[in-house]
Amino acid sequence: MHGDDTRPWTFYAFAAFFTLFVLFLYGPMIVIYILSFQGPNGGMTFPLNGVSLHWFDALISQTRVGDIAGSFVRSIGLAAIVAVVTVVLSVLAGLAFRRRFRGSAFAFYLAIASLIMPGLFVGLGIALTFRLLGLPTEWYTTALGAQLTWTLPFGLLIMFAVLGRFNRSYEEAATDLGATNWQKVREVTLPILLPGIIGVALFGFTLSYDEIARTALAAGAKNTLPLEIWAMTTNVTSPTLYAVGAVTTIVSFIVIVVALGSIALVQRRRAAAGMRTE
Amino acid sequence: MSQASGEVAVVGVTKRFGETTAVKDLSLTIPHGSYCCLLGPSGCGKTTILRMIAGHEKPTSGDIRIGGQSVLGLPQVQRGTAMMFQSYALFPHRSVLDNVAFALKMRGASTADRHAKARELLTKVQLEKFADRLPTQLSGGQQQRVALARALITNPRVLLLDEPLSALDEYLRLRMRGELRRVQKELGITFVHVTHTQLEAIAVADTVVVMAHGHIEQAASARDIFVTPRNAYVARFVGGQNVLTGSVESVMNGVAAVAGKNGARYAIPVGGRHPRRGSPLWGSIRRDRIVIEKMAPGAKPTVGLNAVVGEVHTLENQGSYVKVTLDLADSEEFVAHVLDETFFAGSLDIGERVVARWSASDVKLLEDGPIAEEAAPAGAAMATAG
Repeated sequence: MHGDDTRPWTFYAFAAFFTLFVLFLYGPMIVIYILSFQGPNGGMTFPLNGVSLHWFDALISQTRVGDIAGSFVRSIGLAAIVAVVTVVLSVLAGLAFRRRFRGSAFAFYLAIASLIMPGLFVGLGIALTFRLLGLPTEWYTTALGAQLTWTLPFGLLIMFAVLGRFNRSYEEAATDLGATNWQKVREVTLPILLPGIIGVALFGFTLSYDEIARTALAAGAKNTLPLEIWAMTTNVTSPTLYAVGAVTTIVSFIVIVVALGSIALVQRRRAAAGMRTE
Repeated sequence: MSQASGEVAVVGVTKRFGETTAVKDLSLTIPHGSYCCLLGPSGCGKTTILRMIAGHEKPTSGDIRIGGQSVLGLPQVQRGTAMMFQSYALFPHRSVLDNVAFALKMRGASTADRHAKARELLTKVQLEKFADRLPTQLSGGQQQRVALARALITNPRVLLLDEPLSALDEYLRLRMRGELRRVQKELGITFVHVTHTQLEAIAVADTVVVMAHGHIEQAASARDIFVTPRNAYVARFVGGQNVLTGSVESVMNGVAAVAGKNGARYAIPVGGRHPRRGSPLWGSIRRDRIVIEKMAPGAKPTVGLNAVVGEVHTLENQGSYVKVTLDLADSEEFVAHVLDETFFAGSLDIGERVVARWSASDVKLLEDGPIAEEAAPAGAAMATAG
């Protein structure tokens, strides 16, 4: 009770909770990764019947498990398009919202409201509308639109946070030093905001990459990766499923490393301006 | 080196932000080549004036003229102004050299030309060794000098400084304000410097403009602002003065005898004026012209002319003098600056009763409210409220 150890009981309560949280999040994931290396004759549960890359191989070679490779390419492509569109529109909207204009509050809430709409019905509604108009539903049309209703409000909110920390006197200083509006944006605003903009891109990409609710009914005939995996969970009864889990995790991990790496690179480049001025 | 005139004239300018009026029908002329400080508490409109001169805000009405020409609607480049921002606003992603060269890059100067000019300016502020650093790798004082060099590269005729020293620690602040003054003298251009620090304004400026609530309370030389404040607001804000108030008892030979609230009586010189008996009058007495005498325990508070009785409330050693604050029981604080030698020769302590005396010749008349004159020629010598 006495002595140096004066941590309150709440410390132990939260420590216990956090331990559970970590176990709950990472424990099952680790089990899946381990089981993906199951031997060729092993089943979907422990014990491991040898160790092999058999199920990763099956993932690529077997057509029976579904169109994993095709859906993967579609998902990456879609996520990239979503990331680009999200960055362009969120940055422009974020800059525009810095100034109060007529109806700006209304426009903001209208945009943000899409976050609380039930995703499944957003997707359904978009698909139905397209069908009514006689247009085909495709991953690059309806699914893209459905995902943007999810990523754009997020991107906008991130830009608000990024711009909230942006000192406007940088822009005034640029104007003061004779920069035109375009020079100001290109030479000062965008470079200073760049790390935040990469963050928006990362968010757009990952939100799209594992989106199911909005995409499910709007993707058309060809599935994205999460939809393909979802379908697999009901009809594939081999460790291939775990192999898919392991591969997609690696992809997500690479995306995050690339994003954080490019932010670090931006900062390093700035520091390196120390050696060599443009 | 003939240079366009950097005379800045603010002519009847009003600036409203929605419902609030930041600047009210304000006029001010700052002569070419002078150092002017706009001094006032936050929200008094001083920064708004600076930003209107710079073109970052547009006056609601009135005119801004530089070198006799209206600059309303002109871009910064054509105004010939340059601004140093409060936090310097150095571009964090550009080297010191590229920060300084920025304005020339915007004008399309070649890399070699603009870097040569930027290096020249960095040498002037003794930062040539730091040309390739990033701004964040410099100390506050160095950043301030980079900001100065960046602002000066366009050869402005007017340099506008928004609280240029507020981000620095005390030691650097004192050094850099001397440096600013030196640079201004050397370049011979107009400096307009916004600050809320009284001593900073007095230390650097030719002209100090004391502001409150969007208008000018007094615009005068630094010496006059300190020694002869125009009214009680300036006297209190600039500091260094005690404000005396009371009602006129009699007037003789240009001196009014005034009765204060606590039974104290003072003489306030009124020049050629004849304030009416019973009318209120304000005066100021410098804090360093006051003599403090201890009262013997149990002594009756016999108060003569030009003296007040009070209790020592606080003592602050300021090095060369001690700031003695008296509690006069009824009125505002009364402060005496006692020379360190005098103070430490005695044994004054908190809670002791003292008499503070001064000489009538050190008292200055303040113009607060119209001075009600007796038998004055119609309309003559009426002082108007600030």
